[in-house]
Amino acid sequence: MNRTCRHGPGLALRTLGAEQIERIHRTSCRILNEVGVLVHHDEAAALLQAAGAYTDTAGRTYLPDALIEWAIARAPGRITVYNRLGQAALLLEGSNVHFGTGSDTLFFLDPRTGERRPWSTPDVAAAVRLVDALPQLDFVMSMGFMDDVDRRLVNRRQYALMVQNTVKPAVVIAADRATVEDIAAMAAAVAGGPEILRHRPLFVLYCEPTSPLQLPFESLDKLLLAAERKIPVNFACGALAGASTPVTPAGTVAQANAEALAGLVVHQLKNPGAPFLYGYGNSPLDMRTMQAVYAVPEALLLQGSLCDLARYYGLPSWGYAGCGSAKTFDAQAVVEATMFTLTGALCGCNLMHDVFYLESGRTGSLELLVLTDEVISRVRYLLRGMDTSDEYLALAAVRRVGPGGNFLGDEHTARHFRESWQPTLSDFNGYEAWMAEGGVGIGTRIGEKIARLQATHQPPALSPEVQGAIDAVLDRAAAGLT
Amino acid sequence: MEKYEALAEMVIKGDPEPVREATAKLLAAGEDPLALINEGLIKGINEVGRRFKAGDMFVPEMMRSALAMKAGLAVVKPLMEGKDVPTAGRVVIGTVKGDLHDIGKNLVVMMLESSGFTVVDLGVDTPVDAFVHAVREHSPGVVGMSALLTTTMPVMKQVIDALEKENLRHTLKVVVGGAPVSPEFAREVGADAYAADAVAASEICREFCG
Repeated sequence: MNRTCRHGPGLALRTLGAEQIERIHRTSCRILNEVGVLVHHDEAAALLQAAGAYTDTAGRTYLPDALIEWAIARAPGRITVYNRLGQAALLLEGSNVHFGTGSDTLFFLDPRTGERRPWSTPDVAAAVRLVDALPQLDFVMSMGFMDDVDRRLVNRRQYALMVQNTVKPAVVIAADRATVEDIAAMAAAVAGGPEILRHRPLFVLYCEPTSPLQLPFESLDKLLLAAERKIPVNFACGALAGASTPVTPAGTVAQANAEALAGLVVHQLKNPGAPFLYGYGNSPLDMRTMQAVYAVPEALLLQGSLCDLARYYGLPSWGYAGCGSAKTFDAQAVVEATMFTLTGALCGCNLMHDVFYLESGRTGSLELLVLTDEVISRVRYLLRGMDTSDEYLALAAVRRVGPGGNFLGDEHTARHFRESWQPTLSDFNGYEAWMAEGGVGIGTRIGEKIARLQATHQPPALSPEVQGAIDAVLDRAAAGLT
Repeated sequence: MEKYEALAEMVIKGDPEPVREATAKLLAAGEDPLALINEGLIKGINEVGRRFKAGDMFVPEMMRSALAMKAGLAVVKPLMEGKDVPTAGRVVIGTVKGDLHDIGKNLVVMMLESSGFTVVDLGVDTPVDAFVHAVREHSPGVVGMSALLTTTMPVMKQVIDALEKENLRHTLKVVVGGAPVSPEFAREVGADAYAADAVAASEICREFCG
């Protein structure tokens, strides 16, 4: 099987050599063999022990290589996630790339006022509708942590808002098993029943270890449920290099890989063949400010490595794009978000989230979201690479035009000029024409685009029956609160 | 004073073993424990704090220095004979029940210890009762609570309610922090302050214990 990143004839990036991949894999296995993990979940611990893992008196569980290799071989190499119209929307395999937002930012950078404030329910609904309208965004995460909802119900309300305001698939965060069950019930209502949902998943669940090397109860409980229900799921370490993982990028990859593989083993033991999304991220601890910083070169290097490892294991990959640590939508934000988006795509990361994150995920910016939509469109053009067929080499056109002529009037130009990349935001006018149109920068144009899309774009509504079923799930959850 | 200065220098260097040895040697030579702490160990750690603020030292170096200072303190403490070890204040701190994340909290502990506070660290996954119990036992000026998960944040309110119920709330200040915590949330649960990061936490504690 071909394990290198390929976009047909297009551009692709390799981060690790074959020997480096082996070295990382062996180190991760040694971490799981020799250092072990803490498994805070009885069923998961019992599954591991029954499969040959050893737990010592201090409670550390050590995984043998054979078990790790068994799990890698069991998990499917591709996952399809569907939109709510029943269409295959995310083809997570090989070097395919997909982009979506991040979840649960605490603050909303209001594009109208520039104010940084907590999210309300209408803010989240409008933001999700905007994602629905942007052609380069493939999926949605909850974007904002609403301030006007009981904290214990936020994850359920977020899913309802996502499914109401976009047809695109979702990646969800859930506090616990009961929350996942309710989200799955809402998704089943949309899909046409739990059996159809099982066959054609509408959402991916995000789970994580607590680094270093701890598998917390809630994460494992959700992971086991996802395995049982065949809900695509990840087990993604959010590394804080220098604090929760080694300070070196390679050390971080080795440990994050070990944690992901530990999750994979538990997951496959519960239900062999259930869909698992392999990946993790790194926001190194800045040793001066004590902040977790996003989108630094170390993070990009880690993402390239995990994409190569994912293809080596034959697993679909999970990562980041379009995010950073800038506090506002400024040049730093654009540099960070664009570098992450470009390199993530070149590395062939299957599912990249966090587009629109500022401030390492505390604040969300719709302006960055809309700008990144155009960046992704540029990147996707690049990924297609160079077409060197006879028609595109255009010898016939060169022959027709000959020395001293021009191509403007040639039929070849007429045939192909519409294939050129076109901006949705960037300005290609000359100076005078640009001034005549108001002489405004891209920030203003982005603001206008947001206002226009939010005023006009309306995704197809849910049927009253489906809406009723969703409301019933939410009402039941609210009534269950004490 | 020179002998104390050498000790302070060792704390700045951040090597626990030489600090332990030098402290033991000074005590064996009959030096005053209190002067040794003030003029040696604390002087060293104060210099570390100053250099960190100026951007000349970094977190891992400060962490090593805090360890070195604690190594020295451990040698002196038994000789204090019931006298209080000089402190900027006493802080009880923990990551709340259900949450295993401790890096942010550990950074706060390190900053506080480097600033001369006495810290009682309850660790991670700390039950409500453990906070109450620790407050009774140690009478701190500040209780600090940390959470990284949005799902464990409500436990902070349970701790504050429990302190209220046990009639302990008025004896101390409550400071909360962690990635999903905000000033609004701190107000909502009835905390006295929100600390955005470890540096802010130590400044707030200094203010509350001053």
